[in-house]
Amino acid sequence: MLEEFENYRKTRHQETRAWKSQTGGKVLGTICCCIPEEIIHATGMLPVRLLSEHEPTLEADLHLPTNLCPYCKSWFDQLLKGKYDYLDGVVIPNVCNVVKATYGFSKYLLELPYVYFVDVPQRISSEGVEFFTNVLLDFKKSLEDFSGKQISDEALRHSIDVYNENRTLLDKVYTLRKTFPSVLSGSQAQSMVISSMLMPKEAHNRLLSRVLADIEKADKVSDKRVNLFISASILDDTDFLRLIEECGGNVIADDMPMGSRYFFGMVNSEDKPLRALAERYLAKIACPRKMLPADRLAFSFGRMEGANINGAIIHSMRACDPHLYEYPLLRQEMEHRGLPVLFFRGEETATELEQQKTDIEAFIEMLRDSVE
Amino acid sequence: MVVCGIDVGARNVSAVILNDKAILAYCVITSGEEGGSIAQRAIMEALAKTRLQFNDIQYIVTTGCGRNSVPFANRQSTEVVCQAKGAYYLFPTARTVINLGAESSRVVRLTDEGRAISFVKNDKCAAGSGLFLETMSQLLATPLELMGELSLTSDGCEEVSSICAVFAESEVISHIHRGIPKQHILVGVHKVVISKVMELLGTAGINKDVVLTGGVAKNPAIVRELEQRIGSNIIVPEEPQIVGAIGAALGASEALLSSINSRQ
Repeated sequence: MLEEFENYRKTRHQETRAWKSQTGGKVLGTICCCIPEEIIHATGMLPVRLLSEHEPTLEADLHLPTNLCPYCKSWFDQLLKGKYDYLDGVVIPNVCNVVKATYGFSKYLLELPYVYFVDVPQRISSEGVEFFTNVLLDFKKSLEDFSGKQISDEALRHSIDVYNENRTLLDKVYTLRKTFPSVLSGSQAQSMVISSMLMPKEAHNRLLSRVLADIEKADKVSDKRVNLFISASILDDTDFLRLIEECGGNVIADDMPMGSRYFFGMVNSEDKPLRALAERYLAKIACPRKMLPADRLAFSFGRMEGANINGAIIHSMRACDPHLYEYPLLRQEMEHRGLPVLFFRGEETATELEQQKTDIEAFIEMLRDSVE
Repeated sequence: MVVCGIDVGARNVSAVILNDKAILAYCVITSGEEGGSIAQRAIMEALAKTRLQFNDIQYIVTTGCGRNSVPFANRQSTEVVCQAKGAYYLFPTARTVINLGAESSRVVRLTDEGRAISFVKNDKCAAGSGLFLETMSQLLATPLELMGELSLTSDGCEEVSSICAVFAESEVISHIHRGIPKQHILVGVHKVVISKVMELLGTAGINKDVVLTGGVAKNPAIVRELEQRIGSNIIVPEEPQIVGAIGAALGASEALLSSINSRQ
């Protein structure tokens, strides 16, 4: 059953087309963790995260500069190539400069009926939450116009509950893995999170509940592999974690946007829905673009709590300025706490996996030597 | 307890035979063949300096980028761990190892007990590697082994870009066309390599004593430039190319001992 999550990611285009033909619903592509998917969900539309592919970005290269976020370039390339031909629109948030630029590119280069820019504020503050609540009100109206369906508070609360259930389930999985790494691998856990960004949430919750029941019953045997924490910018498939596993490592906790950052922090279901969403999506998502370093570090170290971690791997995508600026500080703090660090400045290509493998093997052997 | 360590590198293969942790024999040969056969040849050449036969070797550990291509090895170990073990064996005061090989350069930090505690490796640029020096040696029509000495005779320096090995190559060609003396260009070339090493040291940090290993350590201009940039002496082993193989042999010794102990 565990492989169903990874299989869904691999066959996502096919699955989404099938969903569309069965339901007649619309599909919106999203990027980043800061778009409140609940509002899209409440209209009956399906939000799907846009992902990159390990292939040359020949179409995107015609429009975008060379030294650009490989993730953005790749998903945009996929759209230009028609791989997302089922999309009815895309929603782009105001996060880093590159993501912001993709709004303009999407608006003018993609023939999509709906391209929307969600202006996520820069600062985490009460004024920021106020501002963001108004932004989300506009977003809601825009979605209502596009979908032809009014979103009641009740419908929005229901969507919040569905998403909160998903967060609770994913958090249980991560807590189990942190304490008993033998129950499931890091790549399996990550595939659960990535598939959550793609699959209809109710279906994901059902599958997750069944799998969780199984892994809770699984034998919790001792594991001799080296336990690792991974801090990363975008790793939107499980290749890198599987590589670590092949080298004898065990990723038992992370702070990744395509990992625990996606589901961390509940939306307060008691509060006014849009305000509660603004609060969660602005203040609880540990993105270096808007969160101050001390709070970001607190989030990363918080994710490690309760885990017996031997070392950390930091993976930042080339040209991901918000994460790269933070890297020296993160490394320094980790080493200060006695945690050995291995750093990669990665690409969105499979070509460098061999070189990464050499370094990961060395890191794991070094850690094993110090543990034994 | 006779064991062997083999470092199957990008350019050279070295084999070290240890008997109860004492070096019995070693050899370094230039690679170019498939890993298994050249590793076999390296062992046989080292064995020829002893009275031992191949079957007398009780455990073999391989390291280097070709470590997985030797079918008769008992185990593989990474360069980081082997360089640390080898350097500490030769110089127990070693706390930082700078390993400059043909294709990669890395800095390994050691604990007081000689264990690797952290490492950094060159990124995607080849400018800090031995292959960069080899390319420059061809461009400047100067044998690799004489580059360092010739550079040390220079009283000037022609700057070469340290951003990219390919740009550096075109710069050197333009310096040659402008009639710049070869030794001045060589000073610039060596500075490029060391500037890349300094980037690694900046990340890894430097704890004394510093040991320089790998084929590039045989270049006296590299050693001098590095000492000047670090501001202290560095230790260069008599045979800097066999440090990884020594570490692998020590790993073989430990693995054999542990397997004997577990059987008892």
